[in-house]
Amino acid sequence: MRINPGKCVGCGQCRVFCPMGCIAFTRKDKGGQIQCRINEDECVDCEVCLRANACPTDALEQPPAAWPRSVRGTFSNPLITHKETKVPGRGTEEIKTNDVTNRYKCGYVGISAELGRPVLGARLRDAERVFMVLAPLAVEFEKQNPLTSLLADPATGKLKEDVLGEKVLSCIVETIAPIERAAEILDALDKVAGEIESVFSVDLISRVEEDLSIPALEMLKREKRSYALNGKINIGLGRLCIKGADC
Amino acid sequence: MSHTLHRKGTTDNLSGDYVMLAMSAKGVNAANSSRALKDFFSIISKYDWVNMGEVKVGGAYVASFQDIVGGVRDTSVAHAVFHDKDEFARVIAEVKKADLGLSVTISGLLGIMNEVLTATGLSPHTVEVSLGIKGKTELLPHSDLLQITTMCGHGMVSQALARKTLIDIKRGRISLEKATELLATPCACGIFNPRRARIILEDLMDTWCMDEP
Repeated sequence: MRINPGKCVGCGQCRVFCPMGCIAFTRKDKGGQIQCRINEDECVDCEVCLRANACPTDALEQPPAAWPRSVRGTFSNPLITHKETKVPGRGTEEIKTNDVTNRYKCGYVGISAELGRPVLGARLRDAERVFMVLAPLAVEFEKQNPLTSLLADPATGKLKEDVLGEKVLSCIVETIAPIERAAEILDALDKVAGEIESVFSVDLISRVEEDLSIPALEMLKREKRSYALNGKINIGLGRLCIKGADC
Repeated sequence: MSHTLHRKGTTDNLSGDYVMLAMSAKGVNAANSSRALKDFFSIISKYDWVNMGEVKVGGAYVASFQDIVGGVRDTSVAHAVFHDKDEFARVIAEVKKADLGLSVTISGLLGIMNEVLTATGLSPHTVEVSLGIKGKTELLPHSDLLQITTMCGHGMVSQALARKTLIDIKRGRISLEKATELLATPCACGIFNPRRARIILEDLMDTWCMDEP
């Protein structure tokens, strides 16, 4: 995102909307016209400032982004649908359609680390750090996740070199593993947390057994790990044939 | 992505925060699913929702109900937010009865959601829980602000906007109602809960200082 200096009147109305806090006042000389400027290295191209319609002179502009800058918008602007997943946003359908996809089967867990969430954003080199501690554990990285497509070597967790410095609002390292491996994966995430320059939010997904037990949550209790009181539940209403779809 | 997970708050204010999401699965049952998604929104419209939306069109604070429904495609993800758990239970019961075949995910306090599911004769299929934040947590803003910003899981509501609205309310520059509307607008999916934001802001007005970091 850029601010056209030929249009900006320096009112600063756009600044407050920036999730990355990277719009600052500036001027060329003392006594000169004050304008706003975006720190493009910190900007993640989420376009929140643009959609806010806060600029009275239409000075905000989103220039076409070439590779690798283009990954910023695709991971940060939820209005952009990823070519790989056909899902807007940064992740996959994960739990949301599990009642028809069976992506997470009984006996397995999904564990994800969302880099940059909340609030801070993250460079993709932070995602690589997480990939690299998980890759030796031979976990399955979710193939439908757009971040997985940036892996140069899934065996080591190395990302493509040219994207490492790119900053995004958030991106998700998404894994699926047998429940027996869950504690090991969570330990690895604890370990890498000290090497991360930003933050990441961790979540765990589990199928509910027919007797309504949830083995993954029992595992968390055994491991003395706590989880938030609020969470998500797929309530199992999905069908292979949707009403009115002529199937 | 888990955009309705990781909402920060107290048990008290989270007890007024329930999100429902409906979608079809790409490559499985998405073809010609838009009609069912529109039917889902029609059901939602009969109840006391506090926000709703579809990411490509926007939330209810930037788009009309007609525009949201008109923008529904087979690939859309339909969202709705409720403040009252009994109303939420009634919506779930009607969505179940409609048997649209869409996958439906709900977010909120796990204990209350399980109560609601039991009351409506449903069982959880898959659960997702938040295990917290790791890394340089010292860089995060005050937890009071996170209660507001995390209601948009895509991170569209900036901490600066939360801080500014709070200070503007204290200075009498903006009403609580306008402040919560302003906070809801950047959330493109319509999952920001303005009713809960109002409760949080009302509480913080008494304790928040102008020079809070």
